[in-house]
Amino acid sequence: MSLLARLAAGSLLTAFLVFSLAPFLWMVAASLKPGDEQLIFGNPWWAASPDWSNYTKLLVSPLFLRWAGNTALVLLGTLAISLGASILAAYALAHRRVPQARLLVVALFATYLLPSGLLWLPMIKVVQALGLADSPLALVVTYPGLIIPFATWVLWNFFKDLPPDLVEQARLEGAGDLRILARVLLPVALPVLAAVALFGIAITFNDYLYGLAFLSAPGAQTLISEVAHTSVDINDAGFTFAAILLGVAPVAVSCAFFADTYAKGLGTGVID
Amino acid sequence: MLAPALAFVLGVIAYPLATALWFSLTSVQIGGAGHFVGLANYSFLFGLGTYGDAVRDTVVYTAGSTALKAVFGLLLAFSLARPFPGRRIVYAVLFLPFIFPADMGAVAWYYLLSNVHGGINYLIQRDVAWLGTGPLAMASLITVNVWHGTALFTVLVLAALRSVPGNLVDAAVIDGARWYQRFLRIVLPYLVPGLALAALLSVLGTFGDFVFVYLITGGGPANSTSIVGTMAFEVGLLNGDLGLASAISFSVIPVYLIGLVYLLRLVAGR
Repeated sequence: MSLLARLAAGSLLTAFLVFSLAPFLWMVAASLKPGDEQLIFGNPWWAASPDWSNYTKLLVSPLFLRWAGNTALVLLGTLAISLGASILAAYALAHRRVPQARLLVVALFATYLLPSGLLWLPMIKVVQALGLADSPLALVVTYPGLIIPFATWVLWNFFKDLPPDLVEQARLEGAGDLRILARVLLPVALPVLAAVALFGIAITFNDYLYGLAFLSAPGAQTLISEVAHTSVDINDAGFTFAAILLGVAPVAVSCAFFADTYAKGLGTGVID
Repeated sequence: MLAPALAFVLGVIAYPLATALWFSLTSVQIGGAGHFVGLANYSFLFGLGTYGDAVRDTVVYTAGSTALKAVFGLLLAFSLARPFPGRRIVYAVLFLPFIFPADMGAVAWYYLLSNVHGGINYLIQRDVAWLGTGPLAMASLITVNVWHGTALFTVLVLAALRSVPGNLVDAAVIDGARWYQRFLRIVLPYLVPGLALAALLSVLGTFGDFVFVYLITGGGPANSTSIVGTMAFEVGLLNGDLGLASAISFSVIPVYLIGLVYLLRLVAGR
């Protein structure tokens, strides 16, 4: 690369780095100021005398602990159900006789693009019928429906391209389906499972509509849906941003290091 | 073994989809039964000025964001293609806005754009009402969308770049091809699937967006940034008119169907 091209690339990266980080810098500053100070005086980008009271309040706040627990329940429950169901489905479609398997995979795949704007209204009724109104479990039954179609597609693509001997050999040795999955297929599928998990996390983290529609009681909120309710309460912005940074940022930042894994999964069947 | 997956897909996708279609043909309200009204909701909708405005704003928002994300994503992917010190961290920071909960990002941007002690006005020492006029509010929303979604293009183009055979490029260098010839003739064809997938996901995601518009402008000022997603929410949950809200949501199904056909061709085209 010529010097000029290098310089251009460096400037662009620096500019976009600042753009990407700006809201996070602001959040950190906001979380280190008590009450609504952030919104009234001083430099909004800097906490000259950091005040940690928002964080110490969080650690003893029953509501924060409740929200954090609900967030963990929704995230882990969603991932467990989504991975479990799609692993089973992908295995059956790739290695057992299922009539019209390919058609079924494509039909599943087709539903993953459906906009959530189409589904949330009737889903309120489904959630009520299941008795899950105002429970974080409402999200645990909803998100897998959005993740399984794509996850099955990714895993099916991986399973079907494995050497058939791998499964045949284990079957001849008398192994059952679950044993073949656990001992033969899943150990080699770890990077693909990671990609599917990241896809699920991105779906869960980017949802706002379902959380807003299903949950309204304070105790039922997750950290993510909670923002919807407190963002209007500007008297406690610092507390809200401290909750975000302490409760969710560590997970998001860890995931950010796996961008390539995410892209590889997302590009399944499209990018080699 | 297929049962759990099918149960979720039927319960969370097929049943709600069918119900939404049925709702859109009835006069059902929240907390009240309705009756079949045929296409009355749709014909009412298509005559409604606010709906036409919402569709226009949705198209502007989608086209503007997707075009900018594609340009920046492509340039960033090329900038990240070669190793340099700190690349891992730079790449992670660029991906963070995409994986960070969207509503939390939206709330932060709301405060950054605020004209009352907002972060941006503080930096430029001016008093600009970023969310106060239609064009500025739309430009602000597009900026936030670009902040969130550029990484989708970056990571997919980077993944596609890895599929370009290095020896092809080397051969072109030996043959004396200029850099733009190498880009257009050799590299670009390999990038098309990644770019197309990113564009498709961006168009569908932005077309159906709710979170950024609802939290940052609420569709305002004076409905100037109201998009299909926020309008359906207002009509459905706030006014309680489930029939009309479902018709609003369903009216964008052609966009989804075109996207789907395109995606299936991308997948089958290999």
